[in-house]
Amino acid sequence: MSTSSDNGSVNAGPGKGGQNTPSRHHANHGKRVAVVRSKRTLKQKLQWLSDHVRNEWQLYLMLLPTIVWFMVFLYKPMYGLQIAFKDYSIFRGVAASPWVGLEHFELLFTNDQFVRAFWNTIKISALNLLFAFPAPIILALMFNEILHATYKRAAQTIVYLPHFISSVIIAGIVITAFSPSVGVVNTVLSWFGIDSIYFLTKPEWFRPIFIGTGIWQEAGFGSIVFLAAIAGVSPSLYESAVVDGASRWQMMWKITLPSILPTIIIMLIIRIGNIMEVSFELIILLYQPATYSTADVVNTFVYRQGLQSGQYDFAAAAGLFNAVVAFVMVIIANTLARRYSKTSLW
Amino acid sequence: MSGVKLESIFKCYGNLEVVHGIDLEVQEKEFVVLVGPSGCGKSTTLRMIAGLEEITDGTISIDGREVNRVAPKDRDVAMVFQNYALYPHLKVFENIAFGLRIRKESKEHIAKTVAEVSEILGLTPYLDRKPAELSGGQRQRVAMGRAIVRHPKVFLFDEPLSNLDAKLRTQMRAEIKRLHKRLGATSVYVTHDQVEAMTLADRIVVMNDGYIEQIGTPMELFTNPANTFVASFIGSPPMNQLPGVIDVTSDGKKATVNDVTFTLPDHINVENGQAVVIGMRPEHFSISPVDGASTIPVSLNLVEPLGSEALLHTSIGEHALVVKTETHGAIDHLSNVQHLYAPANLVSVFDAESGLALTGSHN
Repeated sequence: MSTSSDNGSVNAGPGKGGQNTPSRHHANHGKRVAVVRSKRTLKQKLQWLSDHVRNEWQLYLMLLPTIVWFMVFLYKPMYGLQIAFKDYSIFRGVAASPWVGLEHFELLFTNDQFVRAFWNTIKISALNLLFAFPAPIILALMFNEILHATYKRAAQTIVYLPHFISSVIIAGIVITAFSPSVGVVNTVLSWFGIDSIYFLTKPEWFRPIFIGTGIWQEAGFGSIVFLAAIAGVSPSLYESAVVDGASRWQMMWKITLPSILPTIIIMLIIRIGNIMEVSFELIILLYQPATYSTADVVNTFVYRQGLQSGQYDFAAAAGLFNAVVAFVMVIIANTLARRYSKTSLW
Repeated sequence: MSGVKLESIFKCYGNLEVVHGIDLEVQEKEFVVLVGPSGCGKSTTLRMIAGLEEITDGTISIDGREVNRVAPKDRDVAMVFQNYALYPHLKVFENIAFGLRIRKESKEHIAKTVAEVSEILGLTPYLDRKPAELSGGQRQRVAMGRAIVRHPKVFLFDEPLSNLDAKLRTQMRAEIKRLHKRLGATSVYVTHDQVEAMTLADRIVVMNDGYIEQIGTPMELFTNPANTFVASFIGSPPMNQLPGVIDVTSDGKKATVNDVTFTLPDHINVENGQAVVIGMRPEHFSISPVDGASTIPVSLNLVEPLGSEALLHTSIGEHALVVKTETHGAIDHLSNVQHLYAPANLVSVFDAESGLALTGSHN
């Protein structure tokens, strides 16, 4: 290994342009020689890190709020995860509660409601993947075909809007729209002589309504990512295809879609990783005991058991199980994506 | 005959007119190069021929048929783009076959044609690779393969070599020339590189600011530039241009530049006292006395050795003058140069105001 190439790895650091001040160059000089001979020792690594942070402190400063957020809201609460293995009592506290091993999990897997909630989660997520995932892609492809700039902007704004409305209001709109007495859906049905249906009390209607609402709320906003990917496709690819005689439809299939495929795969991995996370808020707002059989998911189950019934340890076990399944799903999705399409999150 | 004819072509973007009524006729099998500085309208003109840009006014005909309102795919042209425009997700074979697939050609026909084309371009070993796994030169060849696979009437090249390094560019230039000889297709080639234009073209079209400055064979443009723009654009280093004043005397026509007198060719049409620009190619100066040449005292600023030749950067007063001379393997003697000799028949004269050439010819 030559000194000059090592200079690159030490001074420039991973991915950082080596715009170092002259004094830093000088300070590094002695160390650089030592690094050539063997692997870096821990001390040298720490030295490198502290130099690096001192040099790029602005970037780390910008990163700090996110790290703090993760620490406070995600990592610190992990301490409390242990209550999933304990007979937890608020009065004794997390540390002092006695261990009970996997008792809560055994209870969980024999609990009909939990098993039902688990399968409901999987089913809703699968349907989401099938219908709600392609929606923003299709929308982005459609926007891309609109030539009139003003019309395009107006159409985009309109479909983005529901994203900025609170889920509570969205649920309110949905409940009103499907109401048997004043709802627009039943009004339309009555024109065709169909009797009013109380959609939100019918288990078989919950999933279509929930997924449809999700599409309405998020598809427009979700299309931004794909539109950005489409914007990144070199215009000369299209021009060349035009000269070759491709129609707009052919260009969409043969150029646009393959070009944004990496983005689609990344979004799919994220989506699969979130397969256990159906949008909890919207379910809480739309479901009712009559539709529990199709609507109750793990998160709502945890909410009811933990916060409403005060079985914190049992709910923690359910939540932990959910998280483990999600974790495994992300790893599987990412590995598959990396193997078959050479695109992956990490 | 598959020629291309442009008649008073205008192009406007909103209120901005970028091409101001150009006329050009490209003969069948001819290789015409549009050359000019960036923003001169050469690429726009090419794209109008391809049908990628609308024509604001005028007529474009290909093969005797007006194509103003004909879609690009029906014009039977193929275009090679500066950034190759290869599909990153398709292998070389599929990239070359793209145009044929779009036209729903039979599988056998596609396999046969692609095989032929890749053989011509030396791409056969790379058919299974993706564009990202190819070198710049290979990508350029794939881009050309995509164009020739369709046997179009007209080839359009939009600065195809600009993304290559100097060495590859020279190599690909020769390859394009060889290919044109072999296929004999009508070609319109856009570049800002005058060397590319000189080496490739049957005829060069020099454009500037949306106008055609001159059309001619490479040597015509080199020896008889129509104006100061062409004179400064064609040739490297460019023609020296010095402002001077005409002095018609009994023993011939002369021009004075900073008290230095240039003897001019007799056949030029100038008046006493006329303000002119004297043009002299760097390689036309002599550093040793020549019969009948004007003697020009200069101060030498810098000698740049290029190998077999050297550039002398000299000046007359505030006017810079570049001279190209043979070294014969040594440059020491060049540092003593104090006088240059300018043979009268090699001096070009342009009107100072219009920039138009006043010399008929050097012959």
